[in-house]
Amino acid sequence: MECSFGITGKDYVLIAADTSAGRSIVRMKSDENKIKTLGPHLAMAYGGEPGDTNNFAEYIERNLRLYHIRNHFPLLPPSASAWIRRTLAESIRSRKPYAVNLLLGGYDTTTDLPHLYWIDYLGTKAIVPYAAHGMGVYVSLSTMDKWWYEGMDKREGIEVLKKCVDEVEKRLTVALKFNCILIDKNGIHKIDLSEQDPIAKVEASPEETAVEAPNPPIEVGA
Amino acid sequence: MELNGGSVVAMIGKDCVAIASDLRLGNQSVGVASNFEKVFPVNDKLYYGIPGLASDVYTLREHLRFRVNMYRMKEEREITPKTFTHLVSSTLYEKRFGPFFVEPVVAGIPSPTPLDPHPRPFISTMDTIGCITTPKDFAVAGTAADKLYGVAEGLWEPDLEPEDLFETISQTLLNAVDRDALSGWGVVVHLITADKVVTRTLRARMD
Amino acid sequence: MARRYDSRTTIFSPEGRLFQVEYAMEAISHAGTVLAVLSKEGIAMAAEKKVTGKLLDLSLAPGGSGMGGEGTEAWMGGGGEKIFLLNNNILAGLAGITSDANSLVNFARNSAQKHLFSYDEDIPVEMLVQRLCDMKQGYTQFGGLRPFGVALLYMGWDPLYGFQLYQSDPSGNYSGWKATCIGSNHSSAASLLKQDYKEDLTLEEAKSLCLKVMSKTMDSTKLSSEKLEFATMTLHPESKQPLAKIFRTSELDELLQKLELGGTPDEAIGAGEGSGSAVGNVAMST
Repeated sequence: MECSFGITGKDYVLIAADTSAGRSIVRMKSDENKIKTLGPHLAMAYGGEPGDTNNFAEYIERNLRLYHIRNHFPLLPPSASAWIRRTLAESIRSRKPYAVNLLLGGYDTTTDLPHLYWIDYLGTKAIVPYAAHGMGVYVSLSTMDKWWYEGMDKREGIEVLKKCVDEVEKRLTVALKFNCILIDKNGIHKIDLSEQDPIAKVEASPEETAVEAPNPPIEVGA
Repeated sequence: MELNGGSVVAMIGKDCVAIASDLRLGNQSVGVASNFEKVFPVNDKLYYGIPGLASDVYTLREHLRFRVNMYRMKEEREITPKTFTHLVSSTLYEKRFGPFFVEPVVAGIPSPTPLDPHPRPFISTMDTIGCITTPKDFAVAGTAADKLYGVAEGLWEPDLEPEDLFETISQTLLNAVDRDALSGWGVVVHLITADKVVTRTLRARMD
Repeated sequence: MARRYDSRTTIFSPEGRLFQVEYAMEAISHAGTVLAVLSKEGIAMAAEKKVTGKLLDLSLAPGGSGMGGEGTEAWMGGGGEKIFLLNNNILAGLAGITSDANSLVNFARNSAQKHLFSYDEDIPVEMLVQRLCDMKQGYTQFGGLRPFGVALLYMGWDPLYGFQLYQSDPSGNYSGWKATCIGSNHSSAASLLKQDYKEDLTLEEAKSLCLKVMSKTMDSTKLSSEKLEFATMTLHPESKQPLAKIFRTSELDELLQKLELGGTPDEAIGAGEGSGSAVGNVAMST
């Protein structure tokens, strides 16, 4: 019973993933972080076969970090999505394919645009304004179809995300908790969905909500 | 094929060709994206469409882009539709025993050459391992292929002018995908004539 | 004495020099000049063609009447001897041994396409320069091979750093420039560039500076498309995507006439007979 969401807005991307880990109907862990930060403005929510998931996420994380160190600049979201997709597409025709699905979100600092990619274990990539993976697909996509619109500000985005979480709570038999992050031009921020207005905290103290993201050792370039 | 869904159709007209695809990307019965184009340009007189497994659509497209760019830079000319068809075919056959799950359709107008000053419009289609067919009328592929055959058989006629060809291919695809649960969610049509390409995105039933 | 340390590229001389690499650089300073000028609006590059003469058959060379033009094919206009397209967003001018250069161009094009294949984006300019320099450096270190006798000027655009101009030599060193020059007379051309270069040049001024310095560097008094290749890297006015353009002979002659640097070579009159073909592009000079 896994579940993750992604929503883009005017100048940000929201990504949320549930925090439970277990086998069939048994939950063994309820505070598993299934969102990985891949760069200063890039993160993904991942799910699938336990074991494959973490191994794949770390493989991606470290290769993107290596690219950043080598070239003094991180891969931009479109290029990162292409590389991750290729990795999965090559994996699916290998002897032991990764069974990992992910939602990749990022903010392109050169064009000031948010990006969200729906990627599955086959190497399928869709460029989408909003997306979901896991069991939540069947209840949340219709919720987002109804409430999402072009150019939402951050608070409006959070509202839609909360509606999705509420819908999951209502329609799925298991209770899930959610981790959530927001990516904008300032980087990646932690969002507490239980708060009335989580954005207020991000605006008031950006440093406090900032999520540590992989960075190169030295600042280079403009 | 039935995992992501999607369909492509190409038609020959009088000194013109048209190629169109739907825009749906699905995960079985769940629609994921309504902006997934399956038709790509090679140059401004040659397009190709690849319906099938979306992962392979991307991979094959990136393979072909690599090969066409190298061809263009080395030869210092554009690839012809016929040569491109054989490039696609041999790329597919390379994976004979672990094929790309796609059925490509190629549509283009060859440039005039001294040997062939009045080239005819060209379409071709292939199976998953690259067996080529070059129809004189139309080519269909994808999850709505059977429906497309029926509608195209009824609507297509020889020597259609560009605007009539556009209408014919649009109506063919729109009506065929309405009868297919795995295709639809919008349609994009490319109309290729000797001097320009017109691309139109059509609204369709979004259910 | 020096000969003892000449025969292999991989052996240092007692003074700590690699003679083969230095000889390779010497070979380049006899090659046709290539110079380029960077501006905010784009980059201009001019290259001196050495292989000329009225018996040379250029009828099938790039620049024929059926090739080139604005848009995606703009780079097909001319060039072929000195200036090459390495990728959508990168043009290079080469000085040195032409056969070595061809092999490098092929390597560069392949590297650029591999990047496009993996990342679905045009290769950043400096990354392609690094790819080539890694390869060139390898030939100064591993035994039994000679270094590439080629220096390159790269001009390109990428979304991270905009317009960029780089130079690389046979040792595998590279550096970024606002205006620079390789090939014969490169030091005198470089000092001319230094004298006349201004910050905030427009593209037109960069083009004119490029050709003016070229006219002073080359032996002949008047420039013409017969002895020159010329290219620009700009952004397409609407799409804002990089636009590589190698000038056709007729376009270059027009530009040269405008700048009063020549354009109508005396030899070109009646060159149609010598060019080996009725539609030879040499004869197309205005």
